[in-house]
Amino acid sequence: MTQLSSLLTANKTASGLRFRPATLIAISVILIMSVVPLFSNAYDLTNYRDVLLFGLFALSLDIFWGRTGILSFGHATFFGLGAYGMAVSSIHFGIDPSYVSIVGLLVGISLAAVVAALVGYFILYGGVRGDHFTIVTLALTIVANHIAIGWSKVTGGDSGLIGIPPFSIFGFSFYDPMASYYLALIVLAICLFSAIWILNGRLGLILSAIRDDEVKAKTLGYDTKLILLITFVVSAMLASLAGALYVTNTGFVAPDMIALLLSTEVIIWVAVGGSGTLVGAVIGTAIVWWLQQKISSISVTAWPIAIGSFFIMLVLFFPRGPGAFVLEKIKAFQKSREGNK
Amino acid sequence: MTSNIPILTLNKVSRTFGTFKAVTDVSETFGPDELNCIIGPNGAGKSTLLNMICGTLPVSSGSISFGETAIHGLSGDRIARLGIARKFQVPSVFESLTVFENFQVSAPANSDLAILEEILSTVNLVEDLDVTASDLPHGKKQWLEIGMALTMQPKVLLLDEPTAGLSADETSATAKFLRGLVGKVTVVVIEHDMAFVRELGARTIVLHHGEVIASGPFSEIENNEFVRDVYLGRR
Repeated sequence: MTQLSSLLTANKTASGLRFRPATLIAISVILIMSVVPLFSNAYDLTNYRDVLLFGLFALSLDIFWGRTGILSFGHATFFGLGAYGMAVSSIHFGIDPSYVSIVGLLVGISLAAVVAALVGYFILYGGVRGDHFTIVTLALTIVANHIAIGWSKVTGGDSGLIGIPPFSIFGFSFYDPMASYYLALIVLAICLFSAIWILNGRLGLILSAIRDDEVKAKTLGYDTKLILLITFVVSAMLASLAGALYVTNTGFVAPDMIALLLSTEVIIWVAVGGSGTLVGAVIGTAIVWWLQQKISSISVTAWPIAIGSFFIMLVLFFPRGPGAFVLEKIKAFQKSREGNK
Repeated sequence: MTSNIPILTLNKVSRTFGTFKAVTDVSETFGPDELNCIIGPNGAGKSTLLNMICGTLPVSSGSISFGETAIHGLSGDRIARLGIARKFQVPSVFESLTVFENFQVSAPANSDLAILEEILSTVNLVEDLDVTASDLPHGKKQWLEIGMALTMQPKVLLLDEPTAGLSADETSATAKFLRGLVGKVTVVVIEHDMAFVRELGARTIVLHHGEVIASGPFSEIENNEFVRDVYLGRR
């Protein structure tokens, strides 16, 4: 019995403190990205900064999709709400420039939280799961996109809004590409490590349990609908954080930041990195961005064809991502070899 | 057996699906720490009854009380938190998690490790602590699910066909294990393996077409003409 006791204790501390490979990769990614500015010019740096923020956006989707297995096609809505929340509050209301960024950030994140809570409440408590959830959230993006285009008085319609000031806090403006790059990196690092820490703990286990068998999790006493709703809202808030910071860099907001194409792209970013791995979402974003640069430089029309075909393959052949697909094949191959022996 | 206040009371519980009556006017009481068995042919309404007790399925009419609390109409997770644990007919374990992680999910946060240890050895899964549940053989999945139910420290344990797909030896071990729970927790077992029910020797309730046709000690049930007819398909 004492032997078992020590075994259990070892197991428990291990799962709490163990540095899983994904955690080590995450640390390496952040470390590498923190020295990148030393070797880059200002123009490249602004591109890398956008990749970091899109990586944050992908991370937000992976927190929900990767752990619950429920695919949201509506995450561009939340990115867009963050973007428009920031844009509208910093352009329309004449707020004091010293704290307009903070107000914009809060407005954007609150908007996303409220919309996610409302929509999430009705669909998650209504028992909508799986493909149906994907379709309803897909419709959400289309509705949001139409509002962004149609409500031109507030949103600027098709042409969007221009003149969003760079992010500033306590009088310090992140105008310089280097400063805005590090702002994006720090925000990404905080979100990434918090997500890893929280999802490696009990909550991550419970979410995996709900993904495996929600009815069973319920009979163990978990309020599964509430847990899913909270996860969805937090995920939406992170997406809006990415959107709000993104427009303080570009200086403008446009309807394509709240559109179906962006919802599709973010799914691809997460899938390329392997859904459920968290850091994979960030890596996947970088890989797709890099490929996009390479392929677009050969032919502008080649990129939509490449990404479209990839998406079809994703749905048909490797719904858990190409990485997981390859790992599964290797495992199956090893098993069959063991079987032959 | 001292007859205390019943821990679980069913009062005229009924469930219909469209025009089909799955369960009709079942009124039964289950005393604290007793072992009970519900038997009946396929489609008799056994699983439906269990689903209503644990809140997976709402009652059409009638009431269910846990102690003095009415629990029909409560959501499944609230009923579980009151202390009613359930093992499904098809082993429901979290396939992508390891045995120990399954226990971590089922046990309340900050559970005493010593208790988890004891349950792990009771269900013979000490060796399989780090095995992913999907890799476990069927019998061990059954035991894992029973173990998970026990980690909840329930007052009532509902088991839906715990011996389905088990070997004769495993079935016999299950019966022995369940008899050992008498005096610790109220157990309601659904079964149609007669040899197993005989080995349990518990109070037995017979369901047929959704109605209770007999209840009492198994020795009495076994000699009941009507029950025999039902099982032999003569009625």
